[in-house]
Amino acid sequence: MRLLLLEDDLILGEGLRDYLRSEGHGVDWCQRLLDVTSMRAEPYDALLVDWQLPDGSGLDWVRALRRRGDRTPVLMLTARDLLSDRLKGLDSGADDYLVKPFQPEELVARIRAVCRRASGAAGPCLRFGDVSLDLAAKSATLSGVRAELTAREWALLEALALRAGRIVSKSDLDGLVFGQEGEVASNALEVHVSGIRRKLGRGLIETVRGMGYRISA
Amino acid sequence: MKRLPSITGRLARVLIVISVAWGVAVAGVIWLTVQHEVDDLLDGTLQEAAEIIYAMLLLQGERLPLGQGATLPAPPHEENLVWQIVSPQRQVLLRSHRAPDSALLPAPHIGLTDAAGDWRVYGLAFGEGQQMLYVAQRGADRREARYEVAGISAASALVVGLLCAAWLRSRVRRELVPLNALSTAVSGYEPLEGGSTLAAPGRAELVPMHAAIVDLGQRLAQRVTHERAFSAHAAHALRTPLAGMDAQLAVALRECPPDLVPRLKSTREAAGRLRRVVTALLTMFRSGVDLHWQPVDLPALLERLPVDGLTVSVEPADPFQADPDLLAAALMNLLDNAVRYRAATVRVVATPHPGGTTITLHDDGIGIEPERRQRMQAALDAQQYEGQVGLGLLLADRVARAHHGGLLLLDSEQGCTVQLRLGLPATGDVAAP
Repeated sequence: MRLLLLEDDLILGEGLRDYLRSEGHGVDWCQRLLDVTSMRAEPYDALLVDWQLPDGSGLDWVRALRRRGDRTPVLMLTARDLLSDRLKGLDSGADDYLVKPFQPEELVARIRAVCRRASGAAGPCLRFGDVSLDLAAKSATLSGVRAELTAREWALLEALALRAGRIVSKSDLDGLVFGQEGEVASNALEVHVSGIRRKLGRGLIETVRGMGYRISA
Repeated sequence: MKRLPSITGRLARVLIVISVAWGVAVAGVIWLTVQHEVDDLLDGTLQEAAEIIYAMLLLQGERLPLGQGATLPAPPHEENLVWQIVSPQRQVLLRSHRAPDSALLPAPHIGLTDAAGDWRVYGLAFGEGQQMLYVAQRGADRREARYEVAGISAASALVVGLLCAAWLRSRVRRELVPLNALSTAVSGYEPLEGGSTLAAPGRAELVPMHAAIVDLGQRLAQRVTHERAFSAHAAHALRTPLAGMDAQLAVALRECPPDLVPRLKSTREAAGRLRRVVTALLTMFRSGVDLHWQPVDLPALLERLPVDGLTVSVEPADPFQADPDLLAAALMNLLDNAVRYRAATVRVVATPHPGGTTITLHDDGIGIEPERRQRMQAALDAQQYEGQVGLGLLLADRVARAHHGGLLLLDSEQGCTVQLRLGLPATGDVAAP
């Protein structure tokens, strides 16, 4: 998944960024709201937002996000643990609220949960015909047979599966899969789509000419 | 607890004593005064009666049947006064019906005197033959009259004194009503709530006390405000580095060479314990301010508590009222204690009862020696934790007390048994579902 981490604390931010990356997620880490504004053109699967930031309130930022109609799942990460704070955080548009100190394992599970809910899935597994995706195990099966996907293929499949029924543009997929990595080959996306089709069947990912790709819900 | 003296009781007792003493003193004075005055009045009456009788007898002159013990004709009647005319030889020449037939006095005496046979006598010289007229009254009749008048007067004084005591007692109670009203107002006074004010006192004497309470409330509110601000600051200052430490250790565990894994795991466990203690401390720090009572599902709550190396089994239980955050902090510390006392399993049982819920934790650790357990229990009961109980039990006890309950360390054949007793919320404390 492609994640935006908004956390001003160096030790925590760096630790979370590295942990989430080690879990296979693409993470952009910003320490200020100003930095986010400059890079928000990127699509994200989820936003991890600290409440108190050096140049403003993460909560106000989420509120503004929701006012603009952005439905990206948001997890508030904060030291504020009063019931009134938790209510305020959730009522402002956050999908989940995690009180510090938390363990990164719990954060990862909560990210999966909010993304799953946002995609409309009821359980931890997403099913598309004969294909089944286990988001927690990062595994895909075709008719019960496990398919061996590369990390990039999984990232691409996950990005499309969490947006099932919607067309995802190539540029958005580039951002979701490759993030802010430097140079990426121009046909890299097509290569990974081809790989997924070879392993999970040609009908899973539909090409919408001139617009992008889609997995039917 | 030693029963304190009551202002009302003490005042009432003093008033009764003063009133009764006053009544008795007044009654005594009345008794003596009335005795004396009635005696004077009776003597005066005796003298006047003697002079009237003298005049009446003298008018009869020689027609009087003076003879040995003669009496004048008269209808049957009660005589309060008797009279006799006595010759110089002490012979009774004439007398009233009830008068004795011997002379009242052994020798002629003019004026008032007491005579043998309990008589009060007034003597007058009568006629020309040195005869004496004695008019007398019985001492018993005189005493009866004196006692009756004095007794009624003294009793009236006593009754008035007692009535005054009762009235004063009632008055004292009424005067203390404003003090009770102030106590009621203080119990409902919430200085931490901005709009809460203490009702004005009903008596001038209570104004300083009212002012002192308001001042104390303001100082306490100010202090709590500072503590809340500190708590929020401490929460942020402590929680974020702890989360960062854990995230860094989690990454390090994934990236480190295999021989460093055990060491890093131990470090992460220690960080986890530190995280739990800090969380509990911060929760406890606020526990005196607000308690969020709501239905708690114990099995679900325990499932969320991260205690490595311990198998926790919980018997099914109906939800009960408690503050879930505080209860989680208490249970987390008790489970942490079980691990430290080398327990591998803990069985948790929640027992509802009319006064609340008791949560019992049985573990299979090394337990606590009976003598030490008793010392620890005494420290918990007295809230004198220093040097006797650790942070875990202290926190659990504070949580139980915040829930109107307490912590009990029970005798156990194996391991340790701890009971967390929780009471019921006061009316209005329960959060809406």
